[in-house]
Amino acid sequence: MPTVLPDFSNALADAVSAAADSLVRVEGRDRLPATGIVWDAEGLIVTAHHVLEKDENINVSFQDGETVAAELLGRDPATDLALLRTPERSSNVPSWAEPKGLRVGHLALALGRPGKNVRATLGIVSALGAAWRTPAGGSVDRYVQTDTVMYPGFSGGPLVDASGQFVGLNSSSLVRGVSITVPVLTLRRVLDDLRDHGSVRRAYLGVGSQPTRLPEAVAKELGQETGLLLVSVEKDSAAEQGGLFLGDTLVSLGGTPVRHMDDLFSGLGGDRIGKSTAVRILRGGQLMELTVSPVSHP
Amino acid sequence: MTTLMPQLNSDLGELADRVRESLVQVVVGSAGSGSGVVLAADGLVVTNAHVVGGRKDARSARDLKVILPSGQVRSARLLAKDENLDVAALRIEADEGILPDLNPIELGDSKALRVGQWVMAMGNPWGVAGVAAAGIVIGVGPDLPEAPGAGREWIVVDLALRPGHSGGPLVDHRGHLIGMSTMMAGLEVGMAVPAHVISGFVASVRSGDADAEPGDSTLV
Repeated sequence: MPTVLPDFSNALADAVSAAADSLVRVEGRDRLPATGIVWDAEGLIVTAHHVLEKDENINVSFQDGETVAAELLGRDPATDLALLRTPERSSNVPSWAEPKGLRVGHLALALGRPGKNVRATLGIVSALGAAWRTPAGGSVDRYVQTDTVMYPGFSGGPLVDASGQFVGLNSSSLVRGVSITVPVLTLRRVLDDLRDHGSVRRAYLGVGSQPTRLPEAVAKELGQETGLLLVSVEKDSAAEQGGLFLGDTLVSLGGTPVRHMDDLFSGLGGDRIGKSTAVRILRGGQLMELTVSPVSHP
Repeated sequence: MTTLMPQLNSDLGELADRVRESLVQVVVGSAGSGSGVVLAADGLVVTNAHVVGGRKDARSARDLKVILPSGQVRSARLLAKDENLDVAALRIEADEGILPDLNPIELGDSKALRVGQWVMAMGNPWGVAGVAAAGIVIGVGPDLPEAPGAGREWIVVDLALRPGHSGGPLVDHRGHLIGMSTMMAGLEVGMAVPAHVISGFVASVRSGDADAEPGDSTLV
């Protein structure tokens, strides 16, 4: 007689039932609807950016069958996230797991609600990694890949772990052919910006740059081998106003070494906008300190 | 070390062995084969209508063979088929009045299926006998606008069906029949006719003239 298989089967079905009330159907395109997740008790819904092919006439349907009009508060194509506002109602706000408990090999369910009812596929966590940048340039706090089947309409739905907690939001479009989960840490960061500003805020210097090798003595002094050579400085930009010249080599921003383009990119988050920020450059063989005040990304 | 995985493996192995006892291979002429499942000890086997051929192929249905789990090859007769439901009923013919020993599968409650519950499909994909594939229930019912064959009742499952799986049993964690593997919806998603649809079909075959010639008894 089976001993653990019935428990295993029931536990999976229980996890799906428990999550169902937090999942909504999102109709934002002409073809198949997709999925959204109840984000807070005030009616905010998170979904995937790519399933909203229009900005208006978006409908959201809940577990009890009620359909309401939703307002698009903002979208971030780079992380494939969008935030919707619906009238306040008593849907269940899911419990989010910190992904540090996740291990490669763990079971995970991908859930969706492209129709009236919730649907589920099962897989395992295939790969976990450090922060990464999406092909569209979005910064994601952790790489989470599963082998769950992204059934049609599953984008915008959650990855649910073995204890029924939500790990993140699944997208089939961030990396083609791979089931990627955007972790809750990234959701919080991006959705706060979308709620308060309608877009993800980025700071802007107004420079073009390319990585370059530092002279040996400087490299030794700084403990870094490369910096960013400024190949253009826009007129009237924050960079020009701060005294940066074409041909300078940027080696740090806000006290953090700048070795590659990614370092500059992650150094120019929305929190830098309008803030005096120290930059260190190499000019004519000499290291210099300057101050810039990045502006909001146009 | 936890003992959970060995226990799970032992459950899975036991279940597969049990279900394999009710699985048959359905061979139509020389035109390839599909799967079927033994429903009753009197030789009743169900499979997909598309396994035994369309109405135009009714003649080939006279050359119907069933390969039992033991490897025995027996002649079978088409009792009825329903192209819309994609279900057909066969009867294994007695050999000099003697039917082989059969292990009918137990019927499960396909109306009580839950999304997320574990399921296993068994069949003869690519002609390999008794192959198991496991996954979970993605969705059930007629509300599947994203699936092919929309409007019909389906069980959509998160497992890979391949040619030759058709007509084979889909079972739950007890080994009870909950559906019949019928088609693929993409490489990793399978679609099954629910067991209650099969039982309804079988009931109508049993109450009707089940001895009619193949073709005449086709239900539409």
